[in-house]
Amino acid sequence: MKYGDGSPLGIWGRFSNFSSLMENRPHICPHISIFLRREIQMSKKHDKEKMKGSVYYKLRLVIPVMLTVLTAMIVLATSVGAVSVPFLETVKIILKNWGLLKNISFTEGWESIIFYVRFPRVVTTVIVGAALGTSGAVMQGMFRNPMADPGILGVSSGASLGAVIAIYLGVFTKNIFYMPIFASAGALLAAFIVFMLSSRDSKIPVMNMILSGMVVSTFLGAITTAILSFIRSDQVKQFLFWTVGNLNGTRWEDVKIATFPVIICIFVLLFFSRDLNTMMLGEEEAQAVGLNPSRTRKLILLFSSILTAAAVSVSGTISFVGLIVPHIMRLLIGPDHRILIPASALGGAIFLLLCDLIGRTIVAPGELGVGIITSIIGAPYFLFLLNRARKEGVTL
Amino acid sequence: MRTNVEDMKTNIKDKKTSIEDKKTNIEASKVLEISELDYFIENFQILRKINLSISNGEFVGLIGPNGAGKTTLLKCINGINKGKGQISINNMKLENLSNKKIARGVALMHQNTNVSFPLPAIDVVLAGRYPYLGFAAGESINDYRIARKYMKYTSTSQFEKKPITTVSGGERQRIFFAKILTQETNIILLDEPTSNLDIAHEEQIFRYCSELCADGKTVVAAVHDLKIASRYCSRLILLKDGGIIADGRVDEVLTSKNLSEAYGVNALVYRNRITGLLDFYIPGIDNKKNKERVHIIGGGGSASGVIRQLFEKGYELSAGVLSDGDSDLNCAEVFEIKCAVNKPFSEIEDEAFNENIKYIKEAEITILCNMPFGIYNLRNLEAAKQASKLIIIEDESPEGRDFTDGKALEIYNQLKKNAIITTYARLHEVV
Repeated sequence: MKYGDGSPLGIWGRFSNFSSLMENRPHICPHISIFLRREIQMSKKHDKEKMKGSVYYKLRLVIPVMLTVLTAMIVLATSVGAVSVPFLETVKIILKNWGLLKNISFTEGWESIIFYVRFPRVVTTVIVGAALGTSGAVMQGMFRNPMADPGILGVSSGASLGAVIAIYLGVFTKNIFYMPIFASAGALLAAFIVFMLSSRDSKIPVMNMILSGMVVSTFLGAITTAILSFIRSDQVKQFLFWTVGNLNGTRWEDVKIATFPVIICIFVLLFFSRDLNTMMLGEEEAQAVGLNPSRTRKLILLFSSILTAAAVSVSGTISFVGLIVPHIMRLLIGPDHRILIPASALGGAIFLLLCDLIGRTIVAPGELGVGIITSIIGAPYFLFLLNRARKEGVTL
Repeated sequence: MRTNVEDMKTNIKDKKTSIEDKKTNIEASKVLEISELDYFIENFQILRKINLSISNGEFVGLIGPNGAGKTTLLKCINGINKGKGQISINNMKLENLSNKKIARGVALMHQNTNVSFPLPAIDVVLAGRYPYLGFAAGESINDYRIARKYMKYTSTSQFEKKPITTVSGGERQRIFFAKILTQETNIILLDEPTSNLDIAHEEQIFRYCSELCADGKTVVAAVHDLKIASRYCSRLILLKDGGIIADGRVDEVLTSKNLSEAYGVNALVYRNRITGLLDFYIPGIDNKKNKERVHIIGGGGSASGVIRQLFEKGYELSAGVLSDGDSDLNCAEVFEIKCAVNKPFSEIEDEAFNENIKYIKEAEITILCNMPFGIYNLRNLEAAKQASKLIIIEDESPEGRDFTDGKALEIYNQLKKNAIITTYARLHEVV
């Protein structure tokens, strides 16, 4: 059963018939079937050499490696800090609190430090990093512009405005959920305005979108600054703390807020990876093979702005992750979105964990906001990128 | 026994008719029909009242000057541009079809094939399988097979893993050609498919297209190069300012009149004697008209270049005596100049001789070309004596060109006394 073959069930029929679909087409959505033995067996049956070097082989190599690195980084970041805990103990504490291990006791205070202070922070970092990495990869692919990043939609400035309003109203102290709600509302509103400004006759020209994003960012930035100029100085500091990206003091509630939308959006965006590949060939080229660029772009924008908003709402604006992680990944594994998106998600998580770890430890017992570290690493890299592009004669 | 034979005969007959039926079926099916198509960008009308009907197996060349609407028309056919009017492909109306369904019937190769991301070539080719795959589905081994088949066909297999950003423009064009073949459509639209290709690969792409057409597919290509269009296309459509000026067989469309109308220059169309193909010449005529009459005496191919050179300078020309079948005569016909003609391989008759004399007397300048002298054209030299002003082009020594045992040389030397001697390369200094 194929999509568009006139089956009465339409698109839903495809999902209900998923198992039969898998039989007919073993390579449907490699992300799902990667670990299914069936696919591996099918490939073996076929000429193995012919598929070698294709995205499926790369996926099987790259994703497990990155997952391993990420797990190691999680353990490292959770263990290292003012109070250092042995790696094995860290793992045990986490497993115990998840109900997987029983009848174990730990040194006084370790359990609460690990499970209620560091681990939620690490998990939030992973989720935020994955979200920013993914949305950066998607944006760059969709705009066919290596300079694109999640901020291009005005999402960051919208979130900032939401945050400053929350601080101004003083609501964020009353309930932990207010700040993320205000921030994500601002982010989505900004994305919506950009979207409406740039769509014309159901088409969204890329240039329009980039320019509208800039205009909206500047405009919202001005409002944010205006509000900042007449709030109390402690509130200004509060806001400043937020804008440089701050993962300090994140709790399990933050994890709860961000996890669900981030995972859903990354998963949905994975389904668009082949469409994104096709769109890299150019809008008209994509249309010539039957892709509807405007509709695809709208959907991708919707999901990536939700993704970014969810991330920014718990962490504040963190720059450069969405820009450089997809670039590094593209250099390492190539531009195919079927592998670039999951790799950027994992790479974003790893990168942000590393930056956060540096930020926590470099000036201990003090702490630098993670956004500062990403920018300090990101800016020189970006210059390097520009320089290299100039040498190669590529116009960024 | 006899009945058996009869049976066989009828059987064969049946088979024959069935084959013929099939043939007529193929011929009858119109794969692409366009009626009353208008297309506007803002308030500019790009296409006006396009009516077309194209059958399968046709290789249609879209020709016309820059900005005539060739690209726009191609984009309308595959639904990227939505114009007013009816377009149907494979007897289905375009507006009722989803993008993917259109892409299964029509493949378009764009003029600009720039890709800014370093995708491997095979992935670019595999993009041609997009219309056959469901949402988010990956390519199967079969898709890979199809893609590789066409990469082999266009001899791009060696670039399979090479990033598309690192191959040359011509290679990229061939990879994109493989991509549209991978789409496996029965209508193929090409927009300047050979703009980056060298002459060998240019021919190759057109040969592929001819093969595809022989298989019953339809190719519509926007082509700049009229020579190659005239050679490969089975039908040409000449566009100007968004409208069709001419539509039909190659020799019906490629006439001096049509080309002059479309391109706004005086184009000369002739059949190249060497290749037997249509050829074009667009003279760069000087604006200032030279009113002087020039008569050219030539033969054996010696006069062609002189005629062209003087034609471009705007002189009023005549030529003679040329024998039938001479390439100089062909040249004179292309440039539509008056000419005294004689039967081939025979001595110049009085009629032609007198006509020649008449032209020489009318002309202010007579040019004697660097031609061989034989007994057949000896009278041309005699006629040259009548010239009021004679220019002799002497690239090779006359001794080597004299095949009359000195008779011609004698007259030639006499002529030389009262003439300006020059070479072909320096003719412009004298005239």
